[in-house]
Amino acid sequence: MLLAIPMILILLSIVFIVMRVTGDPISAILGGHAPREYIEQLKERLGLNKPLIYQYADYLWQLLHFDLGKSLLYNRPVLTEIMEHFPATLELSISAFIISVLIGIFTGVYSARNYNKPIDHAIRLYGIVTYAVFIPWMGIILLLIFSVYLGWLPTGLRIETFMEPPKNITGLYVLDSILTLNMPALISSIKCLILPSVTLGVYLSGIFTRLTRTHMIEVLQTDFIRAARSRGLSERTVIYKHALKNAFIPILTMMGLQFAALLAGAVLTETTFSWPGLGTFLSSRVLSRDFTTVQGTIVFFAVLVVLVSLAVDIIYITIDPRIRY
Amino acid sequence: MVSKMEMALTSLLIIAIIISGSGLYYIADLGSRMTRLEEAIGIVTAPKHVIMGTTDKLSVLDPAKCYDFYTWEVFNNIGEGLMKYKPGTTELEMGIAKSYNVSLDGLSYTFKLRSGLKFTDGGALNATAVKWSIDRVMRLNLEPAWLVSEFVDHVDVVDTLTVKFVLRKAVSYFIALLATPTSFPVSSKSFPANETAEPTVGHYGPYKIKNWVRDVELNLEANPDYYGTQPKTKEFGIKFFADASSLRLAVETGEIDIAWKTLRPTDVLDLKARGVLTVEEVPGPFIRYIVCRCNQTPFDNVLLRQAVAAAVDRERICTDVYKDTVEPLYTMIPIGMWSHNDTFLTEYGEHNITKAREFLIQAGYSETNKFAFDLWYTPTHYGDLEADVAAVIKDNLEETGMMTVTLKSAEWRTYVSDYLMSGVMPILLLGWYPDYIDPDDYTTVFLHSEWSPSNGVFYNNTQMDQLLEQASVNVTVSGRTTLYNQVQMLMAKDAPVIPLFQGKLTAVFWPNVRGVVLDPTMILRYSLIYKE
Repeated sequence: MLLAIPMILILLSIVFIVMRVTGDPISAILGGHAPREYIEQLKERLGLNKPLIYQYADYLWQLLHFDLGKSLLYNRPVLTEIMEHFPATLELSISAFIISVLIGIFTGVYSARNYNKPIDHAIRLYGIVTYAVFIPWMGIILLLIFSVYLGWLPTGLRIETFMEPPKNITGLYVLDSILTLNMPALISSIKCLILPSVTLGVYLSGIFTRLTRTHMIEVLQTDFIRAARSRGLSERTVIYKHALKNAFIPILTMMGLQFAALLAGAVLTETTFSWPGLGTFLSSRVLSRDFTTVQGTIVFFAVLVVLVSLAVDIIYITIDPRIRY
Repeated sequence: MVSKMEMALTSLLIIAIIISGSGLYYIADLGSRMTRLEEAIGIVTAPKHVIMGTTDKLSVLDPAKCYDFYTWEVFNNIGEGLMKYKPGTTELEMGIAKSYNVSLDGLSYTFKLRSGLKFTDGGALNATAVKWSIDRVMRLNLEPAWLVSEFVDHVDVVDTLTVKFVLRKAVSYFIALLATPTSFPVSSKSFPANETAEPTVGHYGPYKIKNWVRDVELNLEANPDYYGTQPKTKEFGIKFFADASSLRLAVETGEIDIAWKTLRPTDVLDLKARGVLTVEEVPGPFIRYIVCRCNQTPFDNVLLRQAVAAAVDRERICTDVYKDTVEPLYTMIPIGMWSHNDTFLTEYGEHNITKAREFLIQAGYSETNKFAFDLWYTPTHYGDLEADVAAVIKDNLEETGMMTVTLKSAEWRTYVSDYLMSGVMPILLLGWYPDYIDPDDYTTVFLHSEWSPSNGVFYNNTQMDQLLEQASVNVTVSGRTTLYNQVQMLMAKDAPVIPLFQGKLTAVFWPNVRGVVLDPTMILRYSLIYKE
């Protein structure tokens, strides 16, 4: 956990420097044609007339007070803007994560049980192909099949165009629809969620498939599995209760690491499906050079990844009591 | 170990789940699909709302700050100026003012406002509100403020419903400036005086905002207090899409009724060929051009600018890159606007390599001593075909055998905010959306010595300055046309900017959608649109 602090600090410094190397924030706001005196006024107001080291110190001081600043483009608190887009990303991430873990573990176990058989080779191939596939390409293919040709699912957005979003409680449309007992909104938001989460979930599942397979093969060859089988336990109990539990620690580690990949994948998935989350938000603000917003969003992402890693560390202890920190 | 039987049963089970799930889903969704189809062929009554999709984004919902065409479009539907354009034309008519008169010296305009108007926050829309809004734009002095502050000296309230604009200089197109959203009145109850804000109330127009989620959706509802004809559709929804592919899919599947700005040319052609949806196109006032930086080497040499102007192949750009969804342009004033004159075609012809070589030889270049330079473009701001446009131009220029072109690119903000002014780019591609519909807005900003630096041109010609100044104060169209003809001839001769092509406005919509009027001002009037 302590390592997380220097990690975040390094990340913040890199973002701070890179954003300033790429150009002048004032020209990003004013478009480069504003009167000189107005530029000076604005620089003073935003503290941009100070030496870079002072700007950096101000920036860190603000962050220590949980203040991500205001958007240079819209003059709104960055945290407010992030919180408006975060529920969409969270909803997509949760569903994609569930799909990826379910597919990954199921196919990995199935592959290990059928070691060196054709189905094992097919699943290994699946693991490689899905990991290598370009997300927008897969998204477009799924859209063409399920939205355009079959007409089963919407092409994008969080809820169908003719529907009112559910009353905002958590910001997660599916959950809010359930909480407000809004069945049409629930069906519509699930319909909208299917393709983006399957796209992202399948993309991430490959690594879980390969990892589960490798560790399950190892565990299935150990003495305690042979002993369990010789005691007459059912194959299902042996596989899922004994073998998978022992193979699960590295999978859990990977879940924590994959969370960062999940957020990176969300940027591409959100763009493909016009999903109004933090990914599309960040990419549009990078292009508009909204410095404070980009910095704030990256800090938010970094803290999120650190928190997830921490949660994974805590779960380790629950799963394997031998682990101590 | 797993038996073959177990494997077969598992496979069967998975297939059964997929098929039954799909079937159930299809049945469950059939209703909405049928409704869409029935609506289109007129069996069922259309709902009282229209949904439009766009890839454009709302920038800042404050007239004092926004300076982009899409946000202006929204303001034209939720707001109104003293003057406004007649839908489908470039003619001006009275807006919230019912009449006006101009002083003999052309320096003051007095407007009589309609009575009983009120903003959507309940505030009174009177002469005080008009003055307050104009003063606010000038005080905040943000990007679009020049549309007011360059022309208006001050505004006086004569009485509750009479307001007088006193100008710094007489300009013949002043009333056109009052039809731009920068001059639209907003309520002092909702907008702060000294900073920008984005309240969803405090405007006055045919529609008012029902709800707005940035980059997701904007829902409008008819404003019952609007003085004019009520919108034909009570509720108008706008959905914001991340890219052109998603927009195309959404209109094709019937999730939206109208796709407006901007589909890819290939998608437009494809949708046209399929014939299910209505595809409507008109020439738009959006133009694309090459900027030569005239105050630094190498393009301070007029011969090199002329060589580029002669070599470029506009027809090929329009056909190969844009699949004829844009039109070649041979002057900066767009096709269809009075005084338009194809002077570059007269001066150089089209893709005239022989003439280009002559200019290069005069400038001291040859096939062994080639003129080498960087041509800049921005990869996404004007759509994702920009790299192809740049590649065609490079090809055109290198066809002379005396030019070596290196293509370079930068993202929009860096391109326009840093590189344009600093002189990094000797020659570059740009585009222009007009601020007001007048030849002045297509010429003065590029060619007058006072304005051309702000557009990266840095052109300075006293004769040109005089012609433009005379044209801006002349009050007759025939007199101004003569002057703008001279401006265009001089521009073609000096080639500080080289026009390339003019955009077309394209809207794709379902056959049961009516009232889509593609306006030369690029503003779509939502209040005229309805579903049968």
